[in-house]
Amino acid sequence: MNSKDIIKITLNLVAICAVAGVILSVVWAVTNPVRLEKKAEELRAAQKALVPQAQNITEALKFVSAGGKEGVIYKATADGKTVGYIIKAYAKGYSSFIEMLVAVDIDYRIIGIQILSEQETPGLGAEMEKKWFKDQFRGKTEDHLIVMKGETKTDIQAISGATISSRAVTNGVKAAVDALRAERAKDRAL
Amino acid sequence: MAASYKKLILNGIFSENPVFRLALSLCPAVAVTTSVRNGFLMGVAVLCVMTMVNITVSILRNLINPKVRIPAYILIIATYVSITEMMMRAYSRTAYKQMGLYIQLIVVFAIIISRAELFASRNKVLPSAADGFGMGLGFLGALVLVGAVRELIGKGSIAGFHITASSPLLIMVLPTGGFFVIGLLMGLFNWIDQRYYGGRPGGGGGGHH
Repeated sequence: MNSKDIIKITLNLVAICAVAGVILSVVWAVTNPVRLEKKAEELRAAQKALVPQAQNITEALKFVSAGGKEGVIYKATADGKTVGYIIKAYAKGYSSFIEMLVAVDIDYRIIGIQILSEQETPGLGAEMEKKWFKDQFRGKTEDHLIVMKGETKTDIQAISGATISSRAVTNGVKAAVDALRAERAKDRAL
Repeated sequence: MAASYKKLILNGIFSENPVFRLALSLCPAVAVTTSVRNGFLMGVAVLCVMTMVNITVSILRNLINPKVRIPAYILIIATYVSITEMMMRAYSRTAYKQMGLYIQLIVVFAIIISRAELFASRNKVLPSAADGFGMGLGFLGALVLVGAVRELIGKGSIAGFHITASSPLLIMVLPTGGFFVIGLLMGLFNWIDQRYYGGRPGGGGGGHH
């Protein structure tokens, strides 16, 4: 291979990369706003499903969640009174950061949870989005946010084959409640 | 040459079916075919990527230096896969949530690079498009077929519609079941081939090239 060949080969790859880069930027520029809008819509729908009695759900403040990602606390009100809080938080799972919504009432009792996104082991991780797993959190206080292998009525039953993911979600819910508690201690108006 | 386009497309569907005859890209064929829906979505994504990659490689076949053809093909494939992924993320959110992880993996599917190398880099644009489309359809058909068998026996439903009350044989939706079903269907394809076409490959008229 002589030096002329090397230049030819280099130019070849550079040209392909440049064209690919331009095409990808254009597609990104077109699709990203649509994606963000759809995501916001999904968030609103998920919040509404968690606290159906809320008339207003407004963003109250932001905090730092797992992995330095941005968590958000939303306040749900009805007839001028606070009926609960919805916390958007992240948890470090087996192979991804699990993005979720945690709804709690003013006494920090869990109303429900919703998984927004996860990239855990396909087929097993998806189990966490199933009703039976999410429903376990309803009505629980922090003391019972403990993962158990095998059947349990009082605590959280792990998904078989996805114990790490189950634990991640549970700890994430706990951390979200803790974050809310800490923020409310700082700011009574919240 | 007009009639040969039909031949090229049918070639990918039966006589050189990527999964059942060429036994390529079996890994995704096992992984995603737990249901008809998943198989179909993956199949459509691969069909689009493959047709576009074959067209692009064929257009650029005289410009790409043979010494760097493999990295060049990979770049082309990766570009189309990224486009597919971004489109799904924006316009097909539920499908993306289920398939997101696998869509990225299309980059390394053996069937795509093998068609680029064996066919598109040596043929004109239209035959290459026909080849990519046919192979894509063959892959799509195979995934749907495997998905249907696994979903029916494993979950007792077809495309989400329940046929039996309970899950008859859960093992079929696990990877083990994927190997069973693909192996048996491959056997069936070979049997049909031997029984009706005298062992010569060629369902709707094709044959090796």
